[in-house]
Amino acid sequence: MILLWPLGIAIFGAGVLFCLANPRTATRVALVLGAAEAAVLGDIAWQVYRHGVLTYGNYLRADGLTAFFLINLGLTTGLVLIYASGYMQEAGEDRFFSPRWFYALVFLFLFTMLGVCLSSNLGLLWIMMEGTTLASALLVGFYNTEGAVEAGWKYLVVCTVGIAFALFGTIVLYLAAVRAGISPNTALDWALLADAAPHAALDPHLVKLAFVFVIVGYGTKIGFVPMHSWLPDAHAEAPAPVSALLSAVLLNCALYALLRYDIIVSRVVGPAFPHALLLIFGLLSIVVAGLLILVQRDLKRLLAYSSIEHMGIAAIGFGLGGPLGLYGALLHTFNHSMAKSLLFFGAGNVRQKCGTVRMDRLRGLARVLPQTTGILALGGLAIVGLPPFSLFISEFAILSEAFSQSHYLVSALLLVTLSIVFGGFLHHFMRMICGEPTQTPGTARLLLSEWIVAGIAVACLLLLGIHIPHLFNNMLQQAVAVVR
Amino acid sequence: MGILETTAGKVLSAYSVFLFLTVLAQAAARRFSTNVLLFSLQSAIIAIQVAVIGYHEKLVEAYVVAALIVLLKVVGIPYAFFRLIEKLQAPREVISATSAAESVFVAVGIICLSYAAVRSYASGVHAPEDGLAASVALILTGAFLMVSRRKALVQMIGLLVLENGIFLAALTTTFGMPLIIEIGIFFDVLMGLLLMGLFVFRIRDTFDHMDVSKLRKLRG
Repeated sequence: MILLWPLGIAIFGAGVLFCLANPRTATRVALVLGAAEAAVLGDIAWQVYRHGVLTYGNYLRADGLTAFFLINLGLTTGLVLIYASGYMQEAGEDRFFSPRWFYALVFLFLFTMLGVCLSSNLGLLWIMMEGTTLASALLVGFYNTEGAVEAGWKYLVVCTVGIAFALFGTIVLYLAAVRAGISPNTALDWALLADAAPHAALDPHLVKLAFVFVIVGYGTKIGFVPMHSWLPDAHAEAPAPVSALLSAVLLNCALYALLRYDIIVSRVVGPAFPHALLLIFGLLSIVVAGLLILVQRDLKRLLAYSSIEHMGIAAIGFGLGGPLGLYGALLHTFNHSMAKSLLFFGAGNVRQKCGTVRMDRLRGLARVLPQTTGILALGGLAIVGLPPFSLFISEFAILSEAFSQSHYLVSALLLVTLSIVFGGFLHHFMRMICGEPTQTPGTARLLLSEWIVAGIAVACLLLLGIHIPHLFNNMLQQAVAVVR
Repeated sequence: MGILETTAGKVLSAYSVFLFLTVLAQAAARRFSTNVLLFSLQSAIIAIQVAVIGYHEKLVEAYVVAALIVLLKVVGIPYAFFRLIEKLQAPREVISATSAAESVFVAVGIICLSYAAVRSYASGVHAPEDGLAASVALILTGAFLMVSRRKALVQMIGLLVLENGIFLAALTTTFGMPLIIEIGIFFDVLMGLLLMGLFVFRIRDTFDHMDVSKLRKLRG
């Protein structure tokens, strides 16, 4: 029953917020609903931790892996809503859409992403995943400028086609399951299918074919190269809170969907085949995104390519498998969410205060926007994986797994890419932050809401980097146990 | 009874040929309205196929799905497209990166490729090879329409053809997915089209044209 609550709050919130014309009321209601949502998600995670798998009816289920992604989702969404409360105030009246549209769509988007995490049926999961595209396409095109409309159209078309391939893959998997004598009603349930997979004689060719289509399909949403073309545009043109949601929550949800298939396919044809594909897509993503980071001119596009790179790193962790690899990969998705939302909040501030995020037009930010520069600098140091921030821990875990399995090519490529990205980020950030200012922004101070989100995100990054709390560690281990 | 059975058998065995014909015609179509009508015809063939399977297998669900297809894809979506054309006052011609002859040539290649692709799988899954080949051909043709046509509206048709192909694949191999999932997928497709329609208006308002190939501000 508790599994219905988060979905209910999200859809109810979308409806209520759409009816609130007053921006200030809408903001307050959104914050309250967001807090309720985060509390319910925390409760679900706690109950899963204490009592194991939760199910509701035939279509909803939460296990350890779900719980871990829900914590991430709840925390990041909370941060985004708090940040948006300040950000949307400054959004001018000339926008095509008003704050109520913004909040209603954000909650609808949230509903679909929760649906992806909570559904126990692969068909329903696909429907919800397609729903994420539909709910967020309008948010990507929110500013209604030429760039935003183009990015929205591209996002809609590329992701819909990509997801269509995932549907085809799902049908092929369903076919293999039904042919093996599994009843049609359970053949789409990921838990029952994963349990039945080792004993039932699923046709390995069909299962492999299914996984290829699924990794291409959901890989489009994760942003694997070469299906990533929508991602930089959408991230760059969307309002900053939406960019943070896309990068820190949506990509993780798509990764979660892929993991569900990975678990089933590994049990049928062995882990070698799906993991090899994950490694290939992961390596391709980090190398291409790492090189493209060097030549970016736009801060938000830079951050978008960095998201592709980090999803690649997580995919490599899952592809390597092993206790340390999986642990590192799951921890990495969480760390990336924190660091990347922090950076997008910083970039959003820069865009509002200076009117541009073109890095060649931004100079001397340290003088004109000292506090925002602090956010960007901390986020930048965290995202390139410097200690004491927690991305260092997760990247180190993945690298040690790669070395211990003697995957020297993977280790070498990962190390080289991380160095390139480190150099690229340092170069771009130093040029923006130092030098003589060219802009004169109005107010340089951070709002209270921005202090809160920056404080929470930095605290998480530091805490997990120095010492992972016992409870969090146990939850993480439960999630790892599901994937193994 | 005997006549009905025989007719059903004939339709079952011949529908893939009709589908290949619509694929070829769509590749050659120069006008947008022709493309819409062909899509409607294509969906009608699939709807009949669903009904025939429902009759054969005594599945009530199948009749619901067939009715949904007729309502949405044979009547609803094409009607919406014609309204959209009227409202947009757009030129009727499809602008393509390839000529009609080249497109037909590509479509023929796609059909051959589909047969080659499904050959190794068809025997394993006990599915009619023609039906599987037709579904793969529809998927590939949809993708081809999306990459080669420049107008936003024709790209939407391409997406629909692609979706038809996936639906047909599910139909020929497993007699479709559970009903509630099918309905969810229908709903998603419908919402997706509505949104695309909305974006078409926005593209026209912000760019004064609907040629998506000219949307190339965002690069790199």
